[in-house]
Amino acid sequence: MISFSQVTKRYPGGHEALTGIDLSIEKGELVFLTGHSGAGKSTLLKLVAAIERPTSGVVSVSGQNVGRLPQRAIPYLRRNIGLIFQDHKLLFDRNVIENVVLPLDIAGLDRRESLKRARAVIDKVGLLKREKANPISLSGGEQQRLCIARALVSRPALLLADEPTGNLDAGYAADIMAMFRDFHQVGTTLVIATHDDRAIAALGGRTLHLNHGKVQEGSA
Amino acid sequence: MIGWLRHQKHAFTAALRRLGAQPVASLLTALAMGVAISLPGGLFLALGNLDRLAGDLPAQPEISVFLDAGASAAQKQSIAERLRQTDIAAARYVPKDEALAALGSAQDLADITAGLTQNPLPDAWVVRPQTASREELARVAAELGKLPGVAETHLDSQWADRLQAAIAIGRTGVWLLAGLFAIALVAISGNAIRAQVLVRRDEILVSRLIGATDRYIRRPFLYVGAMQGLLGGLAAGGVLTIAGVILRAPVERLAGLYGSAFHLLPPTAIEIVAVLGLTALFGWLGAWLSVTRALRQVEAAR
Repeated sequence: MISFSQVTKRYPGGHEALTGIDLSIEKGELVFLTGHSGAGKSTLLKLVAAIERPTSGVVSVSGQNVGRLPQRAIPYLRRNIGLIFQDHKLLFDRNVIENVVLPLDIAGLDRRESLKRARAVIDKVGLLKREKANPISLSGGEQQRLCIARALVSRPALLLADEPTGNLDAGYAADIMAMFRDFHQVGTTLVIATHDDRAIAALGGRTLHLNHGKVQEGSA
Repeated sequence: MIGWLRHQKHAFTAALRRLGAQPVASLLTALAMGVAISLPGGLFLALGNLDRLAGDLPAQPEISVFLDAGASAAQKQSIAERLRQTDIAAARYVPKDEALAALGSAQDLADITAGLTQNPLPDAWVVRPQTASREELARVAAELGKLPGVAETHLDSQWADRLQAAIAIGRTGVWLLAGLFAIALVAISGNAIRAQVLVRRDEILVSRLIGATDRYIRRPFLYVGAMQGLLGGLAAGGVLTIAGVILRAPVERLAGLYGSAFHLLPPTAIEIVAVLGLTALFGWLGAWLSVTRALRQVEAAR
């Protein structure tokens, strides 16, 4: 599903976030990315979603060379990837269901069908009672679940999560990790950047440890 | 195709909501556009009305040929012969007695004419040339003026010609002004849309992250621009309607003083539709320029 071959990412100014990374993630795998902050976890995820382009090397997703993808093809790549952000990136000018329906609007789906699917996903993350609420009135955990709902609504084969439990207390974090386990069980490929060791221990799965731009294979 | 239509519909309703969400800003922009459009629009209407005034004058321009009071019978004879040539369509002789009688009956001037001890009017011919082009009229008038026994010729269409020439200049002016104000329209729209893009920066960034194409992001802004332009056109219509209502009475009074039933005419439906279409187009264009530029900046700032 995902493969990195000799990938280096150097930011303008000379900071090298990733150095000659080689890795491969199979379809249906659950992978944790660990490492101290600044180790390159976010950069790695951004390379997969073509938010950043590698300085050198090849990043390929589902057989596509993502680093060389023309600008106009990138939106279509992203529609197959669910992105979950630590800061949620919700839109506060619209209610919960409008946030979730946005990716389907972008894909040009029938509005009624979109709303039905959005409601189903909102139910799955336990926010059905809040569907008309403004996201700003939700708690941190609820906002994170809303972000997950939005990532899931277009039924992506690949889910990338950057510190999904970073700002949450233990109870909420456990909820969300349990949700990820469910997605993993239905065959979604998950890459989760986290330093929440309890979550890794609870879910098991493969761990890739990033250290100063290098990757080390590990296991929980 | 269905997806495309859905996108259009979605963008259209989104644009309506965005306009409605900022009623004051939308109104002010529309007003600025309306004032800008009403200048060339008003001039265009004024010229159209002037043109109509000129067109009300006799369709077949005539040359009045006034004879010298001391013209001999032979001279009068040769003038009459000249007027039978093929370049003259019709020529009517108006003896001075008849002219005086007509004057006395026509314009309540009987008192004055009755007081005259002798007839001050000359004998005259009213001549209609074969072709009514301005050059031909001038040529015939000049030629007749040189005949012996002719005191002067008077080209009745002269002032209409002058008016036409002035209107032609005015018309060029309208197009120049319209061009300038079209640019102003694009600038006003572009500026309004730029402000909206900045307000919606987060939405644009998030939409891009979840797979929105630039076209998807641009579309509602383009609709807003076009609607904004349309509202501007309507505002211009309002401005001109008010101006027309204010001007109607004085214009009709002035026309009445000249003994004319002239009155101001509003624009035709086609003209209204054309102006609204153009304002919408320029609003759209301003939005396109602004959004495309802003999207590039958002990209760079990522």
